[in-house]
Amino acid sequence: MADFGTLCLLMALAAAAWAVLASFNGWRSQSGELILSGERALYVTWGLVALAVASLETLIFNDRFEVEYVASYSNRALPATYKVAALWAGQAGSILFWLFILCTYSAAMVLFNRRRNRPLMPIVVTTLGCVATFFLILVNFIARPFVTLSRTPIDGMGMNPQLQNPFMAIHPPCLYVGYVGLTVPFAFAMAALATGRLDDTWFRTTRRFTILSWFILGSGILLGGWWAYVELGWGGYWAWDPVENASLIPWLTATAFLHSVMIEERKRMLRVWNMSLVIMTFLLSILGTFITRSGIISSVHSFTRSDIGPMFAGFLGLSILVSVGLLLHRLPLLRSEHRLDSFVSRESTFLFNNLLLVGAAFTVLWGTLFPILSEAVRGVKITVGPPFFNAVMVPITFGLLTLVAICPTIAWRRATPARLLDKIRIPLGSGVAAAAILFAAGMRDVYALVAFSLAAFVGVTTIMEFVWGTLARSRATGEPPLRALWSLVDRNKRRYGGFVVHLGVMLVIVGVTGSSVFKQEATAVLHRGDSFTVGRFTMTLEDMVSRDTPNQEFLGARLAVFTGGRRVGTLVPGQNFYKAGQNPSTEVDIRSSLREDLYLIMTGFDPQKGQATLKAYLNPLVAWIWIGGGVLILGSWFAMLPDLRERRRSAEARLRAVASYAT
Amino acid sequence: MAGRRFSPKILIAVVALVAGLAVLFGVGLKGSMVYYLTVGEFLDRQGREDLGENFRVNGNVVAGSIEKTPGRIGASFRMTDGRRELAVVYAKETPDTFVDGSEVVVEGRVGPDDRFVAQTLLSKCPSKYESSAAGRDALKATLEKKTGHAPSGSPGGR
Repeated sequence: MADFGTLCLLMALAAAAWAVLASFNGWRSQSGELILSGERALYVTWGLVALAVASLETLIFNDRFEVEYVASYSNRALPATYKVAALWAGQAGSILFWLFILCTYSAAMVLFNRRRNRPLMPIVVTTLGCVATFFLILVNFIARPFVTLSRTPIDGMGMNPQLQNPFMAIHPPCLYVGYVGLTVPFAFAMAALATGRLDDTWFRTTRRFTILSWFILGSGILLGGWWAYVELGWGGYWAWDPVENASLIPWLTATAFLHSVMIEERKRMLRVWNMSLVIMTFLLSILGTFITRSGIISSVHSFTRSDIGPMFAGFLGLSILVSVGLLLHRLPLLRSEHRLDSFVSRESTFLFNNLLLVGAAFTVLWGTLFPILSEAVRGVKITVGPPFFNAVMVPITFGLLTLVAICPTIAWRRATPARLLDKIRIPLGSGVAAAAILFAAGMRDVYALVAFSLAAFVGVTTIMEFVWGTLARSRATGEPPLRALWSLVDRNKRRYGGFVVHLGVMLVIVGVTGSSVFKQEATAVLHRGDSFTVGRFTMTLEDMVSRDTPNQEFLGARLAVFTGGRRVGTLVPGQNFYKAGQNPSTEVDIRSSLREDLYLIMTGFDPQKGQATLKAYLNPLVAWIWIGGGVLILGSWFAMLPDLRERRRSAEARLRAVASYAT
Repeated sequence: MAGRRFSPKILIAVVALVAGLAVLFGVGLKGSMVYYLTVGEFLDRQGREDLGENFRVNGNVVAGSIEKTPGRIGASFRMTDGRRELAVVYAKETPDTFVDGSEVVVEGRVGPDDRFVAQTLLSKCPSKYESSAAGRDALKATLEKKTGHAPSGSPGGR
């Protein structure tokens, strides 16, 4: 089976290389046969990589420990779900998995476009084929998943217990699906540049893909935070760790792209900027994959350190050279067709939103790579910690929130300040009122006051967009309000889906603010019957408990939770001891509510004395981060559904394209 | 060319925004740069106040050096770069991966008793390939310390 996998990967490499050569030459000689052959080679690549993935999973499920990868990341006692997840627990497997997602995307793109976008497709296939070839070289020669050991161990090493968590099982696939998906708009951008067909086809075709990848990457980041929160046992969800940062950076540039592409679509402006954003996003997602898999920047996440570095550096360098070269070559064709003339206009809010988002991406990138840069320049590693990220990112976030609040109300082209003020009077008033009420209630933290006030500003603006739109439509058509609301959002799903996403982001920021500014903590050593207090909660140690399962033994402390003299629940934080012999893992217990999370960790225990050492965190509003994430996903799905307005726009675009080809 | 495509007002605003970001950047960097050194490098630079107050030091936990006081959170231990050693105290809960031989990164400064007082502690499992047996021994050692007696068969063995 291992030999079969190796063979599949070798043949896949040949197929991907053929896809690149055939498509590119087919495009140059305008040979339909070669182009078709290139596309078919991509299907074949997908099939072979899928077979390789299937073989690796079969080996894992059959406990074939003669394969080094299986022996390193699985064992007999590992539950079936985690045997599936073992595929991406290590470096070689996760690169194979990355490759599989890329090939799936590529095959799907070729299938969807078999009758559309024919002029662009050969270069799309060439680009996707190049990326696939690079990753195939990695799995064939450097990070090889099917290497066998000279002696077969009796049992495997098992999976790192911290990774044995449902969130961790879906967090990496989410990140990968997001990262890899951003390759597709890049491939279409390259095709547009190479062929000189720089109308809006390339981003119109990939719009759904971009939103899909964007929100899956976003969900992946949130799931990672959730995992850190429930599993790592330090009471937080985000630590500006290089691996977390690596996924945030392309997400930020992709967010900028999703916004600025609307300006290009409507006004044919910011065209070079959009191309640059797509290229940047692709490069950053490759860099992100590399940072995640190589452990180049020492971090809590880096389970591996390997020799894939030079390969990635080479591939990134080559990609920069080709894409920037193409962009410079087509610069004359990418001139803006309009001039951005008013300072107070929706166009300018988009421009500033883009600057802030790219500024944020640059900040995170700089802070993440600083140790490497300083070592290269001065020979000593200097790290920058959370204070740097917070100092820069908090003001940027405030700026972005302000823009989110103003943007929907401001007119295109040219708005007058007086009219703008008139329109934002109520939301702005709500923001100020929110700050005043919170101040009166005793809140003195400036950051929190500003954040909550801006959140109210955003919330009211967004909700009023729905209300005004509904009222206007109801008056015009005579529909009852609920029906009018539905037809309003149904006709323009992208706009209103986007507003829902804004609400989601606002909720996430409310949660982050509450849980970082107002966090409380307490520690105590308790005997049976002792109590300790954090915030409005008092916890009493009732007993020590233990649970035995085939894979692990759990040892914990059972605590009764009281507030206001009333018992509100029982929490059982503890530690898991794995029979496979890895380090014990801390299992926190959380009482979650919309108002706050009570988060308990058992850091030490003595069952004979019936004594436990406990740490408690009170994290206000943290649940709103996950709720906001759900709202964000909902809005994104809605924005991806086809709507009337889009159909009309693309029909117009087709007409324009036909007219321009005819002349 | 840019002048023709953007009005001067917007250009000024863009420049102001970028300048503002640059200032934030500078201020943020100044306050949070920390040298990241090995144990040996740190010992060589000890007492150099021009390098800042806090340091981040990387090394491995000396096997058998972890001491935990029952009923108190945290640990004291020694870390090494293979040649020299540094005594460290840490007063917060230790991560699960903090065991004999694991690679640790501590951030903090030297306290009055010449021991390094760590404010943060990150740790990574000892490399899987080298030390499956060592890792198991380390687990046993930790368990013995945690429960106060030798585990018999199952972890925690009571």
